[in-house]
Amino acid sequence: MRAIILLCAMTLAASAHALDFGSIDWDKAAKMVQQVKKANTEVSEPQEIELGSGIAGSLLGAAPLLDNPALQRYVNRVGRWIALQSERPDLPWHFGVLDDEDINAFAAPGGYVFITKGLLARMNNEAELAGVLAHEISHVLRKHHLQAIRKGARSELLAGLADDVIKSRGGDERLGKLVSAGTELYARGLDKEDEFESDRMGVVLAARAGYDPYGLPAVLQTLQSVNPTDSNLALMFKTHPGFDKRLELLGPLMSPALDGLEGQPDLGRRFAAVIGGGK
Amino acid sequence: MRKLLVWCCAIGFAASAWAAEEAYTVRATELKAKPYSDAQTLMTLPERSKVMVVQRRASWSQVKSGETSGWVKMLSLQLARGATDRRADNGLRSLFNVARSGGSGATVTTGVRGLSEEQLKNAQPDPQALQELERYAADRREAQRFAAEGKLQAQRVDYLAGGGK
Repeated sequence: MRAIILLCAMTLAASAHALDFGSIDWDKAAKMVQQVKKANTEVSEPQEIELGSGIAGSLLGAAPLLDNPALQRYVNRVGRWIALQSERPDLPWHFGVLDDEDINAFAAPGGYVFITKGLLARMNNEAELAGVLAHEISHVLRKHHLQAIRKGARSELLAGLADDVIKSRGGDERLGKLVSAGTELYARGLDKEDEFESDRMGVVLAARAGYDPYGLPAVLQTLQSVNPTDSNLALMFKTHPGFDKRLELLGPLMSPALDGLEGQPDLGRRFAAVIGGGK
Repeated sequence: MRKLLVWCCAIGFAASAWAAEEAYTVRATELKAKPYSDAQTLMTLPERSKVMVVQRRASWSQVKSGETSGWVKMLSLQLARGATDRRADNGLRSLFNVARSGGSGATVTTGVRGLSEEQLKNAQPDPQALQELERYAADRREAQRFAAEGKLQAQRVDYLAGGGK
């Protein structure tokens, strides 16, 4: 794959200078190769956050935040507490409830996590919320979206995402294109393997945070019961592996490994109080 | 009669936080007296037995099978199609009410915004909403206080090794 990119870069460099008596500008070609190579290196944390903030802004353009500050703060506390149990506790984590009846949850690079009102409404307790947030947090921890952009058609743009670009604070055209590529990912979905990995990590993060570890499987089981023709589930179906398969993989991994944590609370009462507006 | 009982159960539980939800077993499953593997086995439910789920406790679901009440492993069940629709209706209703009393009123869904594939591709950034999102962020101390209020205790647990990667 890398070889193909290099070859393309060389060809491009050659064609751009076709008028120079067919000679190749080796300096330029070398520079381009270097730039393409950079696309395969790590994006710095500030870059990741800037890109994530752009993608989050776009997502909020598609679905607004639910107008319920107490609930938004509650979800941020649950999410931040879980993130504190992870290997990236100090990212600027942000959590939001989207005012949309679609059943889904999203993550963006740099610590942005969203859950829809439609998914929240089907939950029974805080452990289930924790399970879903922990799954999304895991996408951020493992940089699944960055990897997907890197694998996609826009990989060359990541190469241009240098520190000086970031200083322009969103005004750069290349950053705009990366944000579009990142937002479009929500319509295409990640690799199935990334979803399975986030399931495996999510149940552990919820357990580390002191919750009943079975919140995420319980949500998957709930979603199994939703009519597959329900339009609110269309995007989730298109972009995620089937619920049956996810449960089938998770079940044997969780038991006996997490059996000792079965007594951890699910905080159903606290959840009901916030959802019902008791707070 | 059986149907009537199920209905009575359903109505009775509807008043509580969790209404009983219809499910069926996906494999032959032991119905236990308590939510533990070594608890007394009350009976063995054959595959595709219909039960009503009363509540869940970690990996166990409390169910009613006819007159008998007991516990089965949650993952040996599949909820019936539409079993959680009432839960969703109630949840959306409360969220809607809170949204209305909490702020400027419920947001009217327009045709332009939404989470369909097409709408995501054409989404225009909303910097104001992003600013609002920032305001709700919780810092480390706030999260720790919140966890303590819920008596949540951090645990050391290793990630689960998965296949493939």
